[in-house]
Amino acid sequence: MPDYVQRPPTEPYRSLNPTTKLAIALTEALVAFVVRGWTGPLVVLAVVLATGLRAGVWRAFLPFLLATLPLIASILLVNTFLYPGATDLIARIGPLAPTWTGLVFATQAALRVIAFAMSVALLGLTTRPDHLIADLERRGMGRRAGFVLGATLRTVPRIGERAREITDAQRARGLDTEGSPWRRARGLVPLAAPLVFGALSEVEEVTMALEARAFSAPARRTPLRSFPDAGWQRALRWTLLALSLLAIAGSVSGALAFLP
Amino acid sequence: MPWLSRQFSTRVIALIPVAIAINIVLGYTVQTVLKLPIYLDSIGTILVGVLAGPIAGAVTGAASNLIWQYAPGIGGGTIGPFAVVAAVIGILAGLWGYLGVYRSRPATGSRLWLSVVVGVAIVVLLASRIYNNPAYTDPNIGGYPDWVFTAAILITVVASLAVAAFILVRQDTAGAWVAAAGALTGIVAAILSAPIAAYVFGGVTGSGTDLIVAALRQGGADVFNASLGQGLFSDPIDKTITSFVVFIILASLSDRVVARFPLGERIVNPAPAPDA
Repeated sequence: MPDYVQRPPTEPYRSLNPTTKLAIALTEALVAFVVRGWTGPLVVLAVVLATGLRAGVWRAFLPFLLATLPLIASILLVNTFLYPGATDLIARIGPLAPTWTGLVFATQAALRVIAFAMSVALLGLTTRPDHLIADLERRGMGRRAGFVLGATLRTVPRIGERAREITDAQRARGLDTEGSPWRRARGLVPLAAPLVFGALSEVEEVTMALEARAFSAPARRTPLRSFPDAGWQRALRWTLLALSLLAIAGSVSGALAFLP
Repeated sequence: MPWLSRQFSTRVIALIPVAIAINIVLGYTVQTVLKLPIYLDSIGTILVGVLAGPIAGAVTGAASNLIWQYAPGIGGGTIGPFAVVAAVIGILAGLWGYLGVYRSRPATGSRLWLSVVVGVAIVVLLASRIYNNPAYTDPNIGGYPDWVFTAAILITVVASLAVAAFILVRQDTAGAWVAAAGALTGIVAAILSAPIAAYVFGGVTGSGTDLIVAALRQGGADVFNASLGQGLFSDPIDKTITSFVVFIILASLSDRVVARFPLGERIVNPAPAPDA
């Protein structure tokens, strides 16, 4: 449905200003990584899941969760079995010696990654990128930064799609993409070269198009749409900033050591 | 500041999203799909740094990591906190651009062989610095399995041969400079990314390089030194390969296209003056 026909969302989280949602996501990411081993990740995970449930994106979390599985598996295996200096064995299975210390460390690291991934997923599922960029531009981020962000978000899927097309075309011409690592590495050049040169040839045209639309003119532009922003949201953003700084300070100085 | 705004001309602004997209797509393909123990996610960063300048390169690098982290679809993973390292790679690339490292320098005969010797000497010197790094040899930190040293020697030999072949086949002494720039960038990147990998992620980042970290931990190294050891293994190789790729890209683009970028004139060989 076209943008101008859609009704603005009414659910409490979705109707927040895009910048507020960004501030929430950044704070969640920071707290998950900075506040101790169990507290930060678990609190963030709880908040994200509750917000996601309220916003109705619970089911959509699943693909994001699945995408982190290889990383989680890697973390759990490497740290449980190979944590140096740990002596509290869980069991001894032949040459393998998993330890409780390693398992605890691994679980905490895995929770951090999941909490972070979920907070990113929440932001991505409830906020349209072009709305976020338009709002940041209105706040003074600047036209050039807005263009770079928006163009990148559009270009990445396009180049990924082109990479798939080039891969298919080269495979139809006999390129080997499933052999040994050496053969796979050799297959990189016939894939990367058309991709890179195709992308670079567009740069000249894009430059001319931007200049024709007065991209580098110094005058201020009037935004077409603005997003509702209330005083309490502004206060919330500043509070989140203060919270982040306090979290960093508390973590560095050891003041939060009483938390698990 | 005119120096800063010159680095961000409209052409550069148009190039940056393409460079970021190249970083993300190639990096994702190599790390996640092919699972090779290299990253190959800095081609765009170094390209922008060399063509536009250090700040533009830094912006490209940092933005690549942050956008990749938060991108809907292929986002997630562990790439975000390394944005600082990517920014430094961009700054270094701007430095190499200023110094004209990536300019083609055709030569023949003794000058060519001299550059082969210099190139191989630089590769061997940097490899020996890594070889003798306390992260590998200090018994207090942890003994590393012997295969690490054998692998390091083997890779040094292969790299030297590759650099020499490159210089001789293309009859271009720039190969030595490009190899040196790439190896230096790689070492700096490894030193900067080891603390981030170790303390933020416990040494595991979900890419093919985790195998190397696991193997080094097996030998008894702690998380930081295993990450540093893995970094000094993968990063110089990765950045040297990237450096050569960028050099080949720049050499393949037409002079007309390259010269319009802010630092383009340092890459293009000036045409001989026409006879009056």
